[in-house]
Amino acid sequence: MQHNYLRGFLLLALALVLGFALMGFEMLGSRYLYPYFGGGINTWASLIATVLVALMLGYLFGGALVDRTMSPRLCGALLAFAGVYLFTIPLWVDPLFGWMLGSVGDGMAGIILAATILLLLPLTLMSVFTPFAVRLLLTSITVGGRLVGFVYGVSTIGNVLGTLVTTFLLVPSFGSRALTMVFAAVTIACGAVMILCDRFLRGKQP
Amino acid sequence: MPKRSALRRIVAACVLFGAAAPPLVAVAAGDGLLEKRESLYNNIFIFGDGDNVAMTFGQNKRYYTESSMKLSDPGALTVEYTRYMTLGVAYPPKVERIMEIGLGGGRTVSYLSASLPDTGILAVELDKDVVDLARKHFRFKETARLRTVVSDGRSFLLRDNERWDVILIDAYRGPFVPFHLLTREFYTLVKSRLNPGGVVVQNIEPTTMLFDSATATLKSVFPSVDLYDGGGNVVAVGYDGPQLSQADLVARAAKAQERYKLRYDLRQMAGERRILSRPIGKVMTDDFAPVETLRAIEKNNEKWKEQTEAPR
Repeated sequence: MQHNYLRGFLLLALALVLGFALMGFEMLGSRYLYPYFGGGINTWASLIATVLVALMLGYLFGGALVDRTMSPRLCGALLAFAGVYLFTIPLWVDPLFGWMLGSVGDGMAGIILAATILLLLPLTLMSVFTPFAVRLLLTSITVGGRLVGFVYGVSTIGNVLGTLVTTFLLVPSFGSRALTMVFAAVTIACGAVMILCDRFLRGKQP
Repeated sequence: MPKRSALRRIVAACVLFGAAAPPLVAVAAGDGLLEKRESLYNNIFIFGDGDNVAMTFGQNKRYYTESSMKLSDPGALTVEYTRYMTLGVAYPPKVERIMEIGLGGGRTVSYLSASLPDTGILAVELDKDVVDLARKHFRFKETARLRTVVSDGRSFLLRDNERWDVILIDAYRGPFVPFHLLTREFYTLVKSRLNPGGVVVQNIEPTTMLFDSATATLKSVFPSVDLYDGGGNVVAVGYDGPQLSQADLVARAAKAQERYKLRYDLRQMAGERRILSRPIGKVMTDDFAPVETLRAIEKNNEKWKEQTEAPR
């Protein structure tokens, strides 16, 4: 029993941190897009749509994957890969967006493509975590509803904190490149925890 | 039925609250509202009272005037700082091409186009409804020499390799300038699009800490920055190379004034020049530009002069 509480605590903590980082990346994304595509409602629409598509793909993909493998290690590897991708953003974003502005332009296609290249793949891999957490914690079907609600609730609190803290506290205090790298490092660390705690996180499945 | 009555009470409360909070227009408009338009970027209100027409952007129940015009005298520049914006044409050896970022009602570019008969002017405006309303209410007319492009200013400069003699920047969206038009990378881009001897002219609001950072950033890219008190707003002129001597600038202003016969005398405005010699703000970059925080810290209206000295 003690074991299960600890496991639940760890997975919910990861859901909170990853939810925070995910929305942090959305807010930081605007700082990368503004200089090339302008700072209007169209830039925000593209960012929000990209993040929502990433969530959808991650949930679908993660759900299918966890039914097959139940492997926290695999989920951790995907998170680590997402973190590495995000970590490299400051290296290529300016030359790439500059080139895209010249070739695709700053219309709808240009902004959506830019937001997609920036965030779609890594955020999809990050949101694979949620179905993994649900499945790993699901020991009895009778508490399934509450469990799903709890995992999504905690993850969404992370989203809310990530949005507000990043916007009102972090972006006014630190450079957005440094913040991107810190958030990416946190994502890699979450992946590492899942890889290292693979056996513990599997628990005793019914 | 208790549930339903509770619901009804909530609905009633909402309706009451809605009625109690006056709609934006009623606060200050009186009966002078000529047109209201919600565009992709702004809530634009055109006010008119007899002889005057003003374009304002509404935000936080306040109206920020973007442009104004006197119908009986459309050639007048009624907003004082815009007169100082025209001083940019005194600096370069020749003024064949002017670019403006942020059209507003188009008064400044119309004035320049009418006064400088051999100069081509391009106004880059983000919001196509602003261009529409300028045509409709401010008698803004595009000609072969005065053209407009609808685009974000920075995005346009990145894609367009042409060079300009004067680049005017007046891109306020209500009370603020978007951060990507205030960074070192932006000014570096602007500098790369100037002809030799060319200048950038920017309207900067001096009552917050953002002013210090904006001028320091400008100074980090342009070795010389002159400031002019435009009656509330400050007009900054940045250029490459050493600071012009006052005698040199006045001579240039006199020559330009002689040639263009401008209504607002360039010589007189050049005489009010202050030189930015002690920038105190933190330079803003694409990476770190806390414009919202800086704008939240207010400072004395006249304090900016402490960073400047009188020209010799």
